[in-house]
Amino acid sequence: MMSDFLSVSNLSRSYGEFHAVNDISFSAKQGEFIALLGPSGCGKSTTLKMIAGLELPTAGKIEINGSDVVNTPPGKRNLSMVFQSYALFPHMSVKENILFGLKARKVQKQERNKRLNEAVEMVDLGPHINKKPGQLSGGQCQRVALARTIVSNAPLCLMDEPLSNLDTKLRAEMRSEIRSLQRKLGLTVVYVTHDQIEAMSMADSIILLNEGRIEQASTPEAFYEHPETPFVAKFIGHPPMNLIAFDDLLVGVRPEHIGLVEQGGLAVSVVECDYQGSETILTTSFKESTIRLSLAGKRVLAPGAAVNIQWVPENEHHFSSSSGQRIERTNSVMNS
Amino acid sequence: MSDSLHLDNYRYLLEDEVLLQVLSNSFWYAAITVPVSIALAIAMALWVNTKLRGVGLLRLAYFTPTVLPMISVANIWLFFYSTEIGLLNNILGYFGADAVNWLGDPDISLYSLMAMTIWKEAGFFMIFYLAALQTISPDLYHAAALENASRWTIFKRITFPLLMPTTLFVLVNAILNAFKLVDHLFILTKGGPNNSSNLLLYYIFENAFSFFDTAYASALTVLLLIILVFLALLQFGVLEKRVHYR
Amino acid sequence: MNRILSIISTSLAWALGILWLFPLLYAIWASIHPSEFVTRFELFAPLTLDNFREAWNQAPFLRYMINTVAITMLILGGQLILCTLAAYALARMEFKGRSLVFALVLMQLMVVPEILIVENYQTLAGLKLIDTYWGVALPYFASAFGIFLLRQTFKTVPEDLENAARVEGCSLLGTIWHIYVPLAKPTYLAFSLVSISYHWNNFLWPLVVTNTEKSRPLTVGMSIFGAPESGVDWAVISAGTLISVGPLLIVFILFQRQFVQSFMQAGIK
Repeated sequence: MMSDFLSVSNLSRSYGEFHAVNDISFSAKQGEFIALLGPSGCGKSTTLKMIAGLELPTAGKIEINGSDVVNTPPGKRNLSMVFQSYALFPHMSVKENILFGLKARKVQKQERNKRLNEAVEMVDLGPHINKKPGQLSGGQCQRVALARTIVSNAPLCLMDEPLSNLDTKLRAEMRSEIRSLQRKLGLTVVYVTHDQIEAMSMADSIILLNEGRIEQASTPEAFYEHPETPFVAKFIGHPPMNLIAFDDLLVGVRPEHIGLVEQGGLAVSVVECDYQGSETILTTSFKESTIRLSLAGKRVLAPGAAVNIQWVPENEHHFSSSSGQRIERTNSVMNS
Repeated sequence: MSDSLHLDNYRYLLEDEVLLQVLSNSFWYAAITVPVSIALAIAMALWVNTKLRGVGLLRLAYFTPTVLPMISVANIWLFFYSTEIGLLNNILGYFGADAVNWLGDPDISLYSLMAMTIWKEAGFFMIFYLAALQTISPDLYHAAALENASRWTIFKRITFPLLMPTTLFVLVNAILNAFKLVDHLFILTKGGPNNSSNLLLYYIFENAFSFFDTAYASALTVLLLIILVFLALLQFGVLEKRVHYR
Repeated sequence: MNRILSIISTSLAWALGILWLFPLLYAIWASIHPSEFVTRFELFAPLTLDNFREAWNQAPFLRYMINTVAITMLILGGQLILCTLAAYALARMEFKGRSLVFALVLMQLMVVPEILIVENYQTLAGLKLIDTYWGVALPYFASAFGIFLLRQTFKTVPEDLENAARVEGCSLLGTIWHIYVPLAKPTYLAFSLVSISYHWNNFLWPLVVTNTEKSRPLTVGMSIFGAPESGVDWAVISAGTLISVGPLLIVFILFQRQFVQSFMQAGIK
């Protein structure tokens, strides 16, 4: 088995009484793409900054390629970083921006130019290298930031919400571009995002953080099919998973797994019917819970109408309502 | 510094009649030059901020005294003020008026100094107002034009209130300058006659480097520092207010 | 009615402008004509450069000018280095007592070195720096104004730029030099122009701390130039005055726009 390229153990960072990052551990193999996912303020950016060395941990260990780097300055950790704001130096041309790190590290001119040409070709920036960042579009700025990573030859790349300043269409394009670049270069990537789609579509494994702690760490498939806590269940999927209280159980069912039936199942009443083109989101109420359904095509149901809904037991997730932990399936509530 | 802590020097502060005169001079010097310079500065800024022809030249004219060394230009002013061949008395003579002893008459010398100070300072303060005027949105004036407001109303209701933070800022700086700007005294009056135009900082200089009474000069410096610290606290208050305006 | 007001207002503006330029215009008039035209204005009075020649011979202007340039440059250099480092520390480094230090800097905006001539003289006498360039320059190095101005500018530099530079292997001083300094260029220009014109014109402190031609700047030289009381030649005095303000005035007229903008920018902060 390959050893871990990056390993973070018992990492904590607190500001006074506030624990931004609270005792988290994870690791990444060489060439692995890890997403740190979570809502804002969950500690994902702080974790990334600690790996980069821009922020000092209050406790814990960070190892890169087998050596402890906690006391190593950022420039000596042999990693590159892509920032949310791209962090392009506005007073330098694209070319100078890309070469900045190589000059700081006193790489020979010939070698510098060789790497520059390779990188510029890879991210398709050829005609722009003498422009200033202010003259570039958001997507082009993003490419310059990537080119900076490429020329550095660093095996580890940290990305801090790199796509959040782009529009939806460009974002989808850049997702696959970053992913293919990462594969081509064999980079180990730690990718911070609050966007579940980015995490699900790009990462080999996802670490979901909540209030400074790891909520779940697993593959994207496991996140969808096997959420460990109600928080995970609600975070992944759109619209989020329904959580319905049955006695001491929280039962989770995804809206796309629920169908309408003529009779049987659960009797609920319609609250709202929201047509979105390829599907209709139906909001219903059942006792004190709200249950959403995602139905294909256009459906029109009047508010207040009584309907019956049903799902197959395999798509049911059970959580203990006291501890919040996942319980392996007992009996389906559909049968009771 | 140690001998200045000697209490005798501070006791002497209370008995020094020249000091009383100097403080009174400094007070009047500030009380007159500051408001006049500020009023002129606002007028200049308003003129320069319009689209008149030759505004660039006008701005240059107003601003030039700021970059000229006071000590050199004081020589020119000394000629304007000189009793026999001086320009001012020549002009007065042309109108048949009596000659005035601009620098030698104790009742007038301080005012002669003030005139030069105002000349030197107004253009400098104009810059701050000009900067402030350029941040005022033209929409406000368009709105006022729709209301058919007169020029004076526009100035009173819109421009002047919006310049208030700048005025507070300039005010404190002007008062500070009034305490530290004494260069022209060296050429024009040397504080005389009979201390009628002497100012606090010049008096400190005299005590330290003409009368060689370093200890007393130090005590006077402490007095000046107290005045300035008081002004500094005032400025912090003003700056605080500036934040609220934004 | 409005039209009349406009005309009056415009005339007043120009009258004031002429009044403000008058001392300078007068000095030019007096200096390029023979002495008898000092108070006689005749359009076709004969022109002469004798007054300049005379003034130049009466005082070591060249020496004064060299001194002024050297002192101004020494002060500016010291200020740029010290203020940059202090401003960076106050803007971006976390240390105990930072706000206290900053408050002291703000305090110094009020208590300018001129006020402390007596104490500063004693200190510099103790350092044996009386009558030297360093003696004139030293009290001005830690300019509170420069520190304040640069700190405000540095605070607007996005922190990610510094982070990026550090990840790319740039040292702390390298980061200041390659990132902060270039991004603050307009502030440096503004501060430099304000500082140069201030110290070119500064008088009181140089008067106190210089004794001989060796270090005396133009302003101090001008104050002892001739002895105006003893019926000296006004034309020559005017010429001397123009010689002393000339270099700065020429620079000012050439870069008028930058000067005004710099003073404005410095004033807004």
